[in-house]
Amino acid sequence: MNRCFAIVTLSASLLILTGTLAFGVAGEEIYQVKQGFKLVPAIIMVALLCIYIGVGFLSKVSSTSGYWVAGQGVGKIGNGAAIASDWMSAASFMGVAGLLYLKGWFGLGYIIGWTGGYVLLLCLIAAQIRRFGKYTIPEFLGDRYNSHGVRLIAASVTVIIAITYSTAQFKGIGLICGWIFGMDYSSSVFFAAGVVCTYMLISGMSGVTRNQQIQYVVLISAFLIPLWVLLRKAGGTGILPQIEYGHIISNLMEGQTASGQLDPEATRAIRNAYLPWGKGDFYHFIALVFTLMVGTAGLPHIMIRFYTVKNEDVARRSVLWGLFFIGLLYWSSPVYAAMGQFWNPAGGKAVADVIILSAPERAGLGNAFIGYLASGALAAGLSTVAGLLIAGASAIAHDWYATVYRPGCPDRQALLVGRVFTAVLCGIVVLFALNPPALIAQIVAMAFAIAGNTIFPAVVLGIWYSRSNKYGALAGMLFGLGMTLLAMFGWMAKIPMFSDQGILPATSSALIVCPLAFLINILVSNAMDDKLDDESAERGDNILRKLHNLPGYVEEGDS
Amino acid sequence: MAKKPRVSVNFFAPSTDGMKAETSVAKTILVLWFLLSYGIPTLIWLAGLSDPNGLGESFLTNARFLGFPLHYWLLAQGCTLGYLFLCKLYCVLWDMKIIPLRKS
Repeated sequence: MNRCFAIVTLSASLLILTGTLAFGVAGEEIYQVKQGFKLVPAIIMVALLCIYIGVGFLSKVSSTSGYWVAGQGVGKIGNGAAIASDWMSAASFMGVAGLLYLKGWFGLGYIIGWTGGYVLLLCLIAAQIRRFGKYTIPEFLGDRYNSHGVRLIAASVTVIIAITYSTAQFKGIGLICGWIFGMDYSSSVFFAAGVVCTYMLISGMSGVTRNQQIQYVVLISAFLIPLWVLLRKAGGTGILPQIEYGHIISNLMEGQTASGQLDPEATRAIRNAYLPWGKGDFYHFIALVFTLMVGTAGLPHIMIRFYTVKNEDVARRSVLWGLFFIGLLYWSSPVYAAMGQFWNPAGGKAVADVIILSAPERAGLGNAFIGYLASGALAAGLSTVAGLLIAGASAIAHDWYATVYRPGCPDRQALLVGRVFTAVLCGIVVLFALNPPALIAQIVAMAFAIAGNTIFPAVVLGIWYSRSNKYGALAGMLFGLGMTLLAMFGWMAKIPMFSDQGILPATSSALIVCPLAFLINILVSNAMDDKLDDESAERGDNILRKLHNLPGYVEEGDS
Repeated sequence: MAKKPRVSVNFFAPSTDGMKAETSVAKTILVLWFLLSYGIPTLIWLAGLSDPNGLGESFLTNARFLGFPLHYWLLAQGCTLGYLFLCKLYCVLWDMKIIPLRKS
């Protein structure tokens, strides 16, 4: 116990240290919206937070299985809403509108990438992974390939994804708290961290799942309701904003905005952004879309949602519902981008990540509406962070601690380790969030590149190719992880090859790396086929029998 | 103890009836998914090749649908609606092909 407290105290003090160092470096977006403390939004936000924590508290759990996967009893619409709520992060809520505002038509690649990935997930992974029916993705990979190496790489990747993805969420949460309370960016990130930690530690995943359905309702209504008012102010009839904004986009291409006709120079700039290749070429568009799709299908915290459903029929239908709930958001976020452009055509990068606050503000929507919207964005960020940190902490506690490091340790101990690491991960994320390297949606896209290049090939071949073995999986995953990290660091170091215009951009590296990772896995597996020990072959086959309902499956004992 | 024969699972060469049915449904949906996801951008790209400015202006960007520029609508709403339809189709095909197999 003492050691755990030492870790927590150490990470807390590190945080405070870095916090003071990073003071004022990031978050200049906050100065693009109205400053100062806002009473009505603050009340709305605090009330919502009380509901979340209250629900979390009422559904307290004490067994390990309840903590990780909510006891396998959630229905299709409920699970669909949980998938959507897990999915609807600050990136979807604030980031996509920001990117569309900045990149025009090219930004639509994020929308089709993030919805199309679900089709892949459904066709190749969902039903089979449900039949496997254990806790985590590293566990699936580790059992299927009978290798602690594969398990540990998968666990590390899960943790890296959790950290990268949560960083983006914390940036969003920080910006929102900054707007509501008039805090500077750094203090609002710490404030957000406190809320997230309390909420996560009080409840386990069971609380999280139930919360996520409430959060979905809150966040989607928060996102949709202001649109009607916004569109009326822009001169529409305000019946169906998701269709009506088409005229606004067509007019924007002619240079007509709220402040009247733009000069020819500005008109051309806007027109180019809405033409297909004004902000990026064909190759980069396809690469981005492909990366986001395989990433979506490879995200561990989305895949574990399929363990929480009753059976595989529900698993399939919950993807349909999940996609519908997600679609509601993505049909609406371009409206915010178009509105932002209509009222503030030349805001640029500084305003992009707060466009969903800035557009209504410019339109004079009033603090109550914007406060509700902000609370929705906060809900989006919180629920995603909760899901991610759980997935990350369970990768450490379950796949490393309870399986590799101390097999057979008591449930209570694994649960404690899980809670400690949830706090530690939260600390690391705050460190990164204080000085975020890119726009919200771009940071998230990098997490997708990691998932698509490492987890996706290993899971798909693990399910659909019986000759794939641990040597192939190790080689493929190491290659995928190495290349993605290389692209990420190259991007941060501003090396041209990895930049937005380069051949291997960090946000879209999977078009090249993912197929190669598949190929390496297949080739190495075949080359090493003779070397594979009988036990690994037998265990792998046994799991395949279960995944595909083949005869001869034997229940495994303690592994 | 005699060694059990290895299991054979391959997406492109399914070995049992159940797997055959599952992969055939998955393949159908994946082909449609591919056409939707990459066919539409390719169409926009091909149509826009004649634009001297290299911005991809074409009949697709000049046409209007529900007030939208057509190329914008196709991605912003057309594709997502398509994916929803594909998910629904997958569930329907699965119920038609795989559920009866399970019962027999």
